[in-house]
Amino acid sequence: MPEPVGGGVITATTPRPDECATLWCAGLRKCYGERLAVDDVSFSIGARECYGLLGPNGAGKTTTISMLCGLTPPDEGQISIDGHEGGSLEAKQVVGYVPQDLALYPDLSATENLTFFGQLYGLTGKVLEGRIHETLELVGLAERRKDRIGTYSGGMKRRANMAAGLLHRPKLLVLDEPTVGVDPQSRNAILETVGALGVAVLYTTHYMEEASKLCDRIGIIDDGRLVAEGTAAGLISAHGGRDKVHLDCDASRLDELADACRRLDNVHDVREVGEHLELTTDHGPAVLPTVVAVAAARNVELTGVEVRSPNLEDVFLRLTGKELRD
Amino acid sequence: MIGVIARNELRRRLRDRSILIGCVAAPLLMSAVLGLSFAGSSAAAALTIGVSGASHQLLTSAERASVLPAGVRVVAMPSEQALEHGVQSGELAGGVALLPRQIRLHSLLVTVVDPGATTTPGFDVVTRGTSQMGQEYAESMAAGLASVLYAGRVPRASDPGTVALTTRTVGKPGGKVDLNFFAPNIAVVFLFIGSGLGMRSLFMERSAGTLARLTAAPLRPVQIVLGKLLAIFVTGLVTIFVIWAVTTYAFGADWGDPLGVLLLALGATAAMCGLGVFLTSWAKNEQQAFGITLLVGLALALLGGNLLPSGSLPDAFQVLALGTPNGWALVGFGRLDQLGEPARSVLGPFVVLLVFAAVAGGLALTRVRRMVEP
Repeated sequence: MPEPVGGGVITATTPRPDECATLWCAGLRKCYGERLAVDDVSFSIGARECYGLLGPNGAGKTTTISMLCGLTPPDEGQISIDGHEGGSLEAKQVVGYVPQDLALYPDLSATENLTFFGQLYGLTGKVLEGRIHETLELVGLAERRKDRIGTYSGGMKRRANMAAGLLHRPKLLVLDEPTVGVDPQSRNAILETVGALGVAVLYTTHYMEEASKLCDRIGIIDDGRLVAEGTAAGLISAHGGRDKVHLDCDASRLDELADACRRLDNVHDVREVGEHLELTTDHGPAVLPTVVAVAAARNVELTGVEVRSPNLEDVFLRLTGKELRD
Repeated sequence: MIGVIARNELRRRLRDRSILIGCVAAPLLMSAVLGLSFAGSSAAAALTIGVSGASHQLLTSAERASVLPAGVRVVAMPSEQALEHGVQSGELAGGVALLPRQIRLHSLLVTVVDPGATTTPGFDVVTRGTSQMGQEYAESMAAGLASVLYAGRVPRASDPGTVALTTRTVGKPGGKVDLNFFAPNIAVVFLFIGSGLGMRSLFMERSAGTLARLTAAPLRPVQIVLGKLLAIFVTGLVTIFVIWAVTTYAFGADWGDPLGVLLLALGATAAMCGLGVFLTSWAKNEQQAFGITLLVGLALALLGGNLLPSGSLPDAFQVLALGTPNGWALVGFGRLDQLGEPARSVLGPFVVLLVFAAVAGGLALTRVRRMVEP
């Protein structure tokens, strides 16, 4: 098990942050029998902040969410949501929970589903009607509001699922992998909706692009532990490693080109990977012209060039030793 | 919030038609089968069945409760010896001898719970019918006597020596007495099955993920459970009212005093729903819940005397029947539809049913609450 890396990780001993935090949790721990699902997870989310919990399947994301939403009590740890103790009715009132599975009644229409869930949060009458209309407009389902959920496409069901979590205008929206198995159009619609909400959002995903695009801060979770936390750029800068430049050329000239590249100042490492050359550098785009010039000077024809900057996938790989989608 | 959850449950079950099938169509079908089976008069050869040891009141009530077709006569015999002689000589096609000496635990239990009840005698069936039909009708008459005795309201049989020999033709045109007996009993069985099917809904919610959403809402677990139970209770009431209405208005059954029927319907529905929900709460999924519902429903129906008159079962089973809510519902309905007694006569069984409802419902609440609470 890798040790937690990165200065952003809050530990159980971390003092409680300022009162602006919509969500604050510390030292969360949950076991299912012998299996430790979540171990000493701590983080906070400010108002209007989007926080991504990034990790592979089985990393502990859903268990963490279940504890935060009051679905299962933590074995240890503290939770505060908008100043209320986690799991209390007051805390639940300000949380909008959008579970990973479609949690709507397929035999009822979108309006009927939202009416029911709205009533559970104390909405009634014209206020409820207005909220239902607004929310269905927001997720782009207003025209299908009278149709049964069971007749919706997968993406529409996901959007309806999200609408049920948004209806009561929560202060904290918890989205558990809302785009899994969704078509690109619906996925974009969901991401745009989340981006425009302006409330605190806890967003779990194993899609690094989503996390990079949406989240102000990202926590990387693996084997139940929060191993790093920070902005996407900060995490990549701290843990992503260096740029990689891939060069393709005639295999018989590979050694000659590798030797020439090793003599360049800004190239830290040169490796032959199959029939390619992989250069490690601090800034690939800056080094590339020099590399091309070196090849040209030796009459080595480059048949392919690719500069690859590190991403969250690399961060995850370096921190945990495994692929994000393992 | 309980009402909101119950309304949503009913709406969903209306939408997926499970209420229409379980609470309306199936009871309607069963009512029709019962009505067509028992409400029509059936022809039979003229046979005479003798009964000894029964008071006039008991014999009259038993006539109404027995499953005898028109054309079969029942006569009161002055003594067991006279009865046996009549059967041996062929004067009687079969006979039933009531033996007042026996004291039955069932009778004592009914008396303890309901002081208005009286100790009833035991009885034996003289099985030496002169023909197969004669023996069957004698046994049917015994079942009718048993049903009346089971209701616990019939005075002791008179001294056989003081019973005048009377001969009467029994078996009312139309045979509605049988429908009176079976319709409420089958309705009670449906209550249990309906409650078990209602519990399936909770398992389905759990597997569909909507239960998680309910749990995440600002609700107490007990509110969710009570909402579900309320919906199951309402569907149970609808079921019993459908069977009551159809057998009464379409087939002419007489369940007795409507107020008494209402009391028993409420009590039986509460008790059977509580028991049904409690037992099915042990299931791990909806398939198991369905299996438990059918198995336990059938067992309760047999044990409680809903399929066979309890009085015709062995002593031990008669006692066990009083350990079931349907057994007590049977006692109550027997007083109403077979003895023609007023609503106040079912207060005892009604209270017992409420106790069943409180105990089973409390256990069910505890069990089901574990399914929904964090």
